Amino acid sequence: MGLIQREIEKAGIATVGVSIVRDYSEKVRPPRTVFVRWPFGHPLGEPGNAPQQRAVICEAFKALYALEEPGQIVDLPFAWRRFDYAKYQEPESFPPT
Amino acid sequence: MTFFTRLKNQLIARLITRYPQLAKRFVDAYKPWESEGEIPWVRPKAPLAQCKVAMVTTSGVHHRGQPPFDMQDSDGDPSFREIDGESIGGDFLITHDYYDHADAEKDLNIIFPLERLREMVGEGLIGKLAKKHYSFMGHIDGRHIPALITRSAPEIARRLKAEGVDVVLLTPA
Repeated sequence: MGLIQREIEKAGIATVGVSIVRDYSEKVRPPRTVFVRWPFGHPLGEPGNAPQQRAVICEAFKALYALEEPGQIVDLPFAWRRFDYAKYQEPESFPPT
Repeated sequence: MTFFTRLKNQLIARLITRYPQLAKRFVDAYKPWESEGEIPWVRPKAPLAQCKVAMVTTSGVHHRGQPPFDMQDSDGDPSFREIDGESIGGDFLITHDYYDHADAEKDLNIIFPLERLREMVGEGLIGKLAKKHYSFMGHIDGRHIPALITRSAPEIARRLKAEGVDVVLLTPA
């Protein structure tokens, strides 16, 4: 996935990727990545858990505007099934004002 | 690849999804491409509320009428499928033997969160969504890597540019 991301960014489009295998992202070196230590097939979380999916998307878009250095990987603090997504505070805009 | 090899791959995929501690061996055995040199980098042109956003996924999702990804080739399939954002929710198949997509079939948003992005457009957090999105089958290796880097990936980048996309969110499986 990171290889595709690099080509899109090369064409002048800003990208952010969600990763579930940190080791691969470290080697492929895409422009920006948020990482979750979750099972394969679940990069946005569990089926039917919209707040969890939103939290990952919001963190990805936050990283899109916040990261200053190419190749950075943000480790998200979301423990699989042990994080209360109802308490996640979404920013009011991207970038946050 | 024989029927039994595919069956074995599907079984391993199911096991490592259910028991993530088994995944480490699988992950360690796979040697990903190591990128050298400068990392491509552009800043988003505007706040997200003024951007057009598209998705690219390597989860193997595609429309029912499209040819499935090639699961017979052990180096994977470097081709892509164009996804219509309006209809994919009610018209999709996942062709990918290397992860368990039972949960993604229940809720596509866990690999391809278009419904969430649509909500965010409705709330004014995102400017608009692209009409077309793109899907790959993630398990691409060996001789197909050059095809991915020199053909498929630049081709979707060109199409995204042509549609005026400002930001791309990428999701794996």
